[in-house]
Amino acid sequence: MTAVINENPIIQVNNLKFFYPGDARALHGIDLSFPEKNVTALIGPSGCGKSTLLRCLNRMNDLIDGCRVEGEITLEGENIYGKNTDIIELRRRVGMVFQKSNPFPKSIYENVIYGLRIAGEKDKKLFDERVEKSLKAAALWDEVKDRLQESALGLSGGQMQRLCIARAIAVNPKVILMDEPCSALDPKSTARVEETIKDLRDDFTIIIVTHNMQQAARVSDHTAFLFEGNLIEYGLTDQLFVKPQVKQTEDYITGRFG
Amino acid sequence: MNPAFLKKVKRNDRIARWVITVGGMAIIFSVIFILILIAEVSLPLFLSPDKDLHASFQLEGRAAEEKILAMGVDEYLETGYRLDQAGRVNFFNIADGSAIDSLQLVSDTGSRRLITAQTYGRLNHMLVWDDGSVTIERVKFFPFFDEADDNQRSIRHELEHRAIFAPPSYGLPVKTMARVNDEGRQVRVDLFRSGIFQITIIEEEESLFGAGERVQESHQLEIDSVGEVTAMTLSTDGIKLYLGTSKGEILRWDLSEIDHPVLEETTQAFLDQREITALNMVFGDVSLIVGDQQGGVSTWFPVRDADVGWKLTQIHQLHGHAHAVQDVQPSPHDKSVLSIAADGINVSHMTSERFLVNIANGAEKIEAFAQSTRGNGIITLSDHGTVQSWKLDIPHPEVSLKTLFGKVWYEGYPEPTWAWQSSAGTDDYEPKLSLTPLIFGTLKGTFYAMLFAVPLAIFGAIYTSQFARPKFKGIIKPAVEVMAAIPTVIIGFLAALWLAPLIERSLGSMFLSLILVPAALMLSIALWQGARKLSPLKQVERGYEFLVIAPVIVLAVAIAAILGPGLEDWLFAGDLKQWLFNETGTRYDPRNCIIIAFAMGFAVIPIIFTISEDSLSNVPPSLKAASLALGASRWQTVWRVILPSASPGIFAGTMIGFGRAVGETMIVLMATGNTAIMDLSIFNGMRPLSANIAVEIPEAPVDGSLYRTLFLSAVILFIMTFIVNTVAEIVRQRLRAKYGRF
Ligand SMILES: Nc1ncnc2c1ncn2[C@@H]1O[C@H](COP(=O)(O)OP(=O)(O)OP(=O)(O)O)[C@@H](O)[C@H]1O
Ligand SMILES: [Mg+2]
Repeated sequence: MTAVINENPIIQVNNLKFFYPGDARALHGIDLSFPEKNVTALIGPSGCGKSTLLRCLNRMNDLIDGCRVEGEITLEGENIYGKNTDIIELRRRVGMVFQKSNPFPKSIYENVIYGLRIAGEKDKKLFDERVEKSLKAAALWDEVKDRLQESALGLSGGQMQRLCIARAIAVNPKVILMDEPCSALDPKSTARVEETIKDLRDDFTIIIVTHNMQQAARVSDHTAFLFEGNLIEYGLTDQLFVKPQVKQTEDYITGRFG
Repeated sequence: MNPAFLKKVKRNDRIARWVITVGGMAIIFSVIFILILIAEVSLPLFLSPDKDLHASFQLEGRAAEEKILAMGVDEYLETGYRLDQAGRVNFFNIADGSAIDSLQLVSDTGSRRLITAQTYGRLNHMLVWDDGSVTIERVKFFPFFDEADDNQRSIRHELEHRAIFAPPSYGLPVKTMARVNDEGRQVRVDLFRSGIFQITIIEEEESLFGAGERVQESHQLEIDSVGEVTAMTLSTDGIKLYLGTSKGEILRWDLSEIDHPVLEETTQAFLDQREITALNMVFGDVSLIVGDQQGGVSTWFPVRDADVGWKLTQIHQLHGHAHAVQDVQPSPHDKSVLSIAADGINVSHMTSERFLVNIANGAEKIEAFAQSTRGNGIITLSDHGTVQSWKLDIPHPEVSLKTLFGKVWYEGYPEPTWAWQSSAGTDDYEPKLSLTPLIFGTLKGTFYAMLFAVPLAIFGAIYTSQFARPKFKGIIKPAVEVMAAIPTVIIGFLAALWLAPLIERSLGSMFLSLILVPAALMLSIALWQGARKLSPLKQVERGYEFLVIAPVIVLAVAIAAILGPGLEDWLFAGDLKQWLFNETGTRYDPRNCIIIAFAMGFAVIPIIFTISEDSLSNVPPSLKAASLALGASRWQTVWRVILPSASPGIFAGTMIGFGRAVGETMIVLMATGNTAIMDLSIFNGMRPLSANIAVEIPEAPVDGSLYRTLFLSAVILFIMTFIVNTVAEIVRQRLRAKYGRF
């Protein structure tokens, strides 16, 4: 285990262990810190626990009955597994984009403002503003600005995924978690989503899981390599890809396994 | 792929498609076939009546001077007879007019002659003789199988002498009317040229020693009316007397007391003072038939009026004539009315006001007519001596769209109503076959059942699918599904014999618990939310809330049970039922809609629950995750994402439950009073279409009006469920297009 990045961390993971029901351990004590307003990529072979780690960060794992977490994760210094954590508040601060796009069967407009609505917001002007801003940030505005009231289910796969990004952005989170956001997209849509991610870097902290080495290299500032529930190597993307410190990392990124 | 295999796959595909198509079609066809079968039985209700000229002939052996005063015909339409002035009854064959035989009236001495004759009831003839005496004679027919003659069926006839009335002391009357009832009470009414009017009543009076003693009373009266009396009728029992005048007045008398005939009222029936030309009583002696100068035919009976007491009121206006009405006659077996004028005989039905047939003999004028006692035939005699025999085919005269669905003013009712009361003990009962209260009953029962079942089932489904732990769901769902398998007979039985008395006893507690249980729930949920913030309780995991909720509900019910009687004492003077009746006029029926709501709800909940639960569980978890990841609470997720997405399924479940409730028979049959009332009150019962069919079909004579009306109600039930299902399907498709992508 190497270089823990200390520049201005927003999330710190300390000795995180995660057990699926039946005491199936998926994470074996992870220490990691995510710097603010940066893109961090999580890479690793299938089943190594990337998604599990990601879901721990906004406690989506709570939905699984009988799972268990040990260790600590702090968001801006506060333990999110503490006794007084408000999960709803946490999830507002840590948004998520899923591997398979999952827009609601509602209009594009309603999809974007969903997070605001459930927060009790009613201001129509704020809605309009946010919709435009978020869709622009997700690079979708030009394509859908004339059909905001149409069903989101009529969009293409790539558009839907960007809509999901816009939906996550609309609530102004601190962190956006993305679990293989491009895995179901064609190269062109992938390129657009990647563009979007790069644009968002200035305002949000982004943690992205990907199987695509090039993608990780293209979009991320830092990269963490996980293997069988352990963090193997973590560092600046440029360094990790050019000069990996650990043999396993090198084998993985050069495609010798995984 | 191997070409042979490919071929096989394609062939299997074709076969499967074919089988599925045939199966689907077969279902559709059998449903349509059933509908056609049912509809076919009910259709004759709306067939128009038919008449058929069966024979037309001159009478054999009729002397030129023979004047025919009355005619009659047997109910098999085989033998007819005529009564002449000399008091002979000549029987003839109705097919060709050939003479059969001739009998002399028993009472006749041979020296008197008949002046007039009037037929009433079942071939009763009231005969007025030239010496002023009156006799009542009856002709009887008996079919039998003649053993001597190769078991040939033939009809024997017989004359019965029923009563004789002595001549009045004043000389010959202008108009006479006489009746005798089954106890031998004789009533004779005479009108003399001088305007004097005499009522004579003879009664058998029980003496102290048991021996009957005949008492006779005569009353001479002056008639106080503007016009002169032009028509007169007496009810068959001789109790009601009606007089009609040339100025359109009707006088109503009550002759029930031998020494005190009472003039009940004098009514100006027609404001234009048209002459009343004919009066008679409809079968059953309740309604009066009035024929007038202008050809109008109407029926009347006294209706209770708050100010003036009983007031003779026009109830039905029947099909009229272009000429003055000469005579009106009731049918001897139903509420049909015959009227004769220059344009022939009209047959109409009183209740339905339907004009059935007109019978006329071309240019020849009908002088006399007689109807068979079954109403299936009429013979007429024209001024040219032609006898015509008509067969009538009037299958369901009392049924029309108006009587089925509209308000009808039935005999003895204070106003027009919708009523279902298919039969009573007597022949002369006016059947009340309105389907409206039954349709109303179906909708009412369904409404209350759904009011109870839908929220419970849907909230239950939401809880089990979204909030409860999976293990708990694994118990709850099969348990509720087993509920659906309970025979409705058992539910109905429990509702009637256990629930109904229980609720009747603890009405106050029940209402109290309706308030207390939700209130306690709210309160405990609020407390729970607060308590969860405290650390030790946080360990109680989600999905076990019911462990806290269940005791709260039990407690609330217990409190309601304890406080209920006290509350009743305090607010409703001890008896809620009595209070209800006093304050709102609603009678508390122990088998009411509360029971129905519970019992039928019990039958409907499993269906709605299961279908709703399935569709809620089938909402893709990714949608739920998306919502939760955006910071939505579980309830927000359910309300904004899960429910809309599951709405097609929930809606379908509700509609299937609705259809089930509409068709539900056993529960309502057992748990309501089955009274066909039109009252939305939850405190009384109803009679829905389905239960009505179950109750009445065993009693309904095959192919009778009731039988066919019941089949019609089945068609309506069918159509109702069809509409519900179609609407449900359309709405479901819409919802699906809007929310679904799965
Ligand atoms: N709901 C679950 N219940 C039990 N075990 C699970 C569950 N989800 C994941 N696992 C197990 O936990 C381990 C880590 O899974 P995870 O989904 O985090 O892998 P991953 O790195 O995201 O893989 P991939 O790249 O294929 O998405 C795997 O061994 C997996 O089988
Ligand atoms: Mg994964």
